[in-house]
Amino acid sequence: MTVSRRDFLKQSVMVSSAAATVGLPVGELAEAAVVNAETGWRWDRGVCRFCGVGCGIQIATEKGKIVATKADVDSPVNRGLNCIKGYFNGKIPYGKDRLTQPLLRMKNGKFDKQGDFVPVSWERAFEEMTAQFKRHYQELGPTGIGFFGSGQQTVQEGYAAVKLFKAGFRSNNIDPNARHCMASAVAGFMQTFGIDEPSGNYDDIELTDTMVLWGANMAEMHPVLFTRITDRKLNDDNVKLINLTTVSNMSSGIADVEIIFRPQTDLAIWNYIAREIVTRDAVNWDFVNKHCVFATGPTDIGYGMRGSDKYDYPAEKDVNGRELTMQLGDAEAIGQGKKSGATVAQNNRGTAGKHWLITFEDFKKGLEPYTLDFVAELAKGDAEESLDSFKAKLKLLADLYIEQSRKVVSFWTMGFNQHQRGTWVNEQAYMVHLLLGKQAMPGNGAFSLTGQPSACGTAREVGVFSHRLPADMVVDNPDHRTHSEALWKLPAKTLNPKIGSHFTKLLRDLEDGQVRWAWVQVCNPFQDTANANHWIKAAREKDNFIIVSDVYPGISTKVADLVLPSAIIFEKWGAYGNAERRTQMWREQVPPPGQARTDLWQIIEFSKRFKLKELWGEQKIPGLKEEGYADGKLPDVLTGSSYSPEASLYEVLFATPDNKQFKWPDAVSKGHDNQTATILGDHWFPEKALFEEYAGFGRGHAHDLANFDVYFQDDVRGLKWPVVNGRETHWRFNEEYDPYVKKGSGFDFYGSAFKSLPSGNLDGITNPAKTAFPGKAKIFFRPYAAPVEQPDGEYDMWLSTGRVLEHWHSGTMTRRVRELHFAVPAALIYMHPEDAKARGLKRQSVAWVESRRGKVKAVVETNGRNRPPKGLVYVPWFDEGVFINKVTLDATCPISKQTDFKKCAVKIYKA
Amino acid sequence: MRLHQLVAGLFLVIAASVQAAPVAKSIPADSMGLSKTSVFDTPEPQVYQYKGEMAGQNKVLPRAYLNAPPQIPHDIADFLPITKDNNMCIACHTLPDQWGKVREPGTATPIPPSHYTDLRRDRNKVTDHLINARFNCNQCHVPQANTTPLVENTFGKRSR
Repeated sequence: MTVSRRDFLKQSVMVSSAAATVGLPVGELAEAAVVNAETGWRWDRGVCRFCGVGCGIQIATEKGKIVATKADVDSPVNRGLNCIKGYFNGKIPYGKDRLTQPLLRMKNGKFDKQGDFVPVSWERAFEEMTAQFKRHYQELGPTGIGFFGSGQQTVQEGYAAVKLFKAGFRSNNIDPNARHCMASAVAGFMQTFGIDEPSGNYDDIELTDTMVLWGANMAEMHPVLFTRITDRKLNDDNVKLINLTTVSNMSSGIADVEIIFRPQTDLAIWNYIAREIVTRDAVNWDFVNKHCVFATGPTDIGYGMRGSDKYDYPAEKDVNGRELTMQLGDAEAIGQGKKSGATVAQNNRGTAGKHWLITFEDFKKGLEPYTLDFVAELAKGDAEESLDSFKAKLKLLADLYIEQSRKVVSFWTMGFNQHQRGTWVNEQAYMVHLLLGKQAMPGNGAFSLTGQPSACGTAREVGVFSHRLPADMVVDNPDHRTHSEALWKLPAKTLNPKIGSHFTKLLRDLEDGQVRWAWVQVCNPFQDTANANHWIKAAREKDNFIIVSDVYPGISTKVADLVLPSAIIFEKWGAYGNAERRTQMWREQVPPPGQARTDLWQIIEFSKRFKLKELWGEQKIPGLKEEGYADGKLPDVLTGSSYSPEASLYEVLFATPDNKQFKWPDAVSKGHDNQTATILGDHWFPEKALFEEYAGFGRGHAHDLANFDVYFQDDVRGLKWPVVNGRETHWRFNEEYDPYVKKGSGFDFYGSAFKSLPSGNLDGITNPAKTAFPGKAKIFFRPYAAPVEQPDGEYDMWLSTGRVLEHWHSGTMTRRVRELHFAVPAALIYMHPEDAKARGLKRQSVAWVESRRGKVKAVVETNGRNRPPKGLVYVPWFDEGVFINKVTLDATCPISKQTDFKKCAVKIYKA
Repeated sequence: MRLHQLVAGLFLVIAASVQAAPVAKSIPADSMGLSKTSVFDTPEPQVYQYKGEMAGQNKVLPRAYLNAPPQIPHDIADFLPITKDNNMCIACHTLPDQWGKVREPGTATPIPPSHYTDLRRDRNKVTDHLINARFNCNQCHVPQANTTPLVENTFGKRSR
């Protein structure tokens, strides 16, 4: 049936008038019209490709192409709404420069690092990839290789990559770009609760009456959640919204109060609130006595930089030198109870995460300096605001938290996580909520939001980190290794107990030649890592082999040696887990173009090229010192095992007898294809088999996932884990909702990590004997610490970076969508008009942004959506033409190893 | 079955010959991606303006696909920021009496009935007011700059 556009428009107009008069839902009527007009369309459910909100979408396909998408009105997350990016999911696969064949740098028919890219077959690609792997692995062992994973990988891709690396190659050098985005949140959860991920869920927005955004510009970065916040706020005058930020931004529009603070002084503001709670006698002692302990840790922990100047540019040496010794400024000295100007050796760089129990009296003593006067003076971020006005805002903030009848949710994202004390500031949010007893209950809680669509579901839950195993287990815990070896049917001591290199360290390892073979999937590390000039040079000039699997060419493909064309989200089966613990799945909707293949197929197919005898003999691991292991060595685990030395990793890790029970085709497909299964050709269903195998880690351990098929039921729109007896868990740690909570306890913070500690005071451990406190959460005292690099005479402005609403991450998908590119064609330098004027610049001037590490050129905007205070500029990072990570500083939180992309010092001048 | 195999075999032969035919052309890395330069270079940034200086004087822009949110055909710099006390979009676009009517040139596109329907609480009722979940207009509707696509996008280019 063909309907002309004119007829169709006429019909739509009639539909909307009818709906308006009879009160029928326009969406459904219009839908009926569409079904008539587009009988060839197949609609199926999917998940948005972009942020951590995890909106449900519906996807229409016809003749192997996506023809439309719409927001899923049945998804509890987004109820029929998407943001501008979400509405363009359907266009992202169709940029004309999709990678459709493997590309290898070659000269005269051979691999050559200096050659141009030449299209090759998959067989040739794997041949070179394997040969290069074996060359470097034989020389350097398991630490000589690396894998850059992602919070955008599917659960199954992340799981397969972890299993290949940790079990197959015995290497812990696998880490996700989620390290740049969520690691501080993870460390905060693990240290506070002993288990990862939020207690609450998005319904908290409708259930609370106070929302505080801390370093989370949700209007741009979590737009659909911000529609829920806006709806809540504007529907009820009693609801208060506070936006704490270093830059006046879009989220301030709906807020009652905007608090502009100086970078990193959020640490001091939290302590002011906690001090107010204590001095106003507002501690919820019933809750605290039953469910909490007090703790602290060392302050001389460095800034997560190299600690060696061997690779420094001359201009970098001064700041990088502070990694080893830092001179305390006035505010930092007061906040830490130390002497101003004192030079402090950073002795706990290697033990930054250690912590111990303290008394409430010590906790109170730690908070003592954080008076309103001290904090306001330190934290006021806008020179044009009066001190009195700023003080009044801080006081109001404390009042709102403390008001007994008020429910409060604190949201944060990269402002906290990308922070040189990111773990601390996460812990401070829990500090305040726990002191008030406003945690883990409907409408009350500190809520860490996530940036990427499966930072939770894949990176964190699967454990695609250099220190992790699935279900919150870690490689340096012998019990966790033994448990994982049993589930994976590995010989004892196959797994490597030494924590591998985190994301930024993998790049440092490429620079100093410790890693010489690296595979990148579903991320763009050479654009998204701070201080990028070092890493792009290392990729191009060192003896190494870099493989990039991607859908489009970007900065990382341009520095790669081998490019593998990947299937995009709707061209494969997968599962994502969002920020409220909701696991969602989708079917393959359309075939990938050309020879593009799923990332999962790439991992599994690569495994066929390895025999156990090449990997499971004795392996050297420099620096390995672990009970039960010879120094620097992993033992031969093959001799005496039941495995044949000739067995391939494919048979041992992936196509196991158990996994091959999951047959392809499968009724759950409802006619959809599966390219991974079809090309492997062994009649098994890898996405289902690997999901079920992975779920075995979490079931019974408070990470329970439902069966694969359940997620595809018509009435299911994802489920929040733990899913126990078919029921999802809305609020964790709360007896009313969480089946893992001990009966009669009310609340039970049952996570088991770090739940037995020595005791001490603010200065250190005084009693090494450990006390156990199962079921309790920790209230940490964490002091103010100054940023390692601050504006000075030469580099006189702060630089903060981040996303924009219209583009996703490094822009490789969204900049290929006309409507999104036309909405925001390039990254701008958002700055205060007077700062511009003082530098001879105005709106639309072209300027340089230069730091000790590099420089970029961009256009100045003085009247845009971000309005920085004097002394600070904001530059988004999506634009590879404005390669702002050449400028940023690769300092990290020393505990979480997450980079601080929010603060470094730059100068701005006319180009 | 046999015919099926034969057809499949023939397809493979054709596919192989198609693949084998062109000589593999080499592709310099600097020619790839959105910035056709070396990763070590600094590209010259482009200054851009948004289309449609004055609201009310511009043609409606084509929708990307059926029911896609329409783009804004005019510059919105002077109307931002949207705040809880001041939403200038609503001032011009609240025109429920225009639903279903052919629009006169110069009138604003009416906010449609879907935006008067609370999808979270009662998806079956078109209310008499804009739902507050739709208050932040620029989360879905964006202006368009005078620029050119970085790469062509083949979405919607049907073969039929």
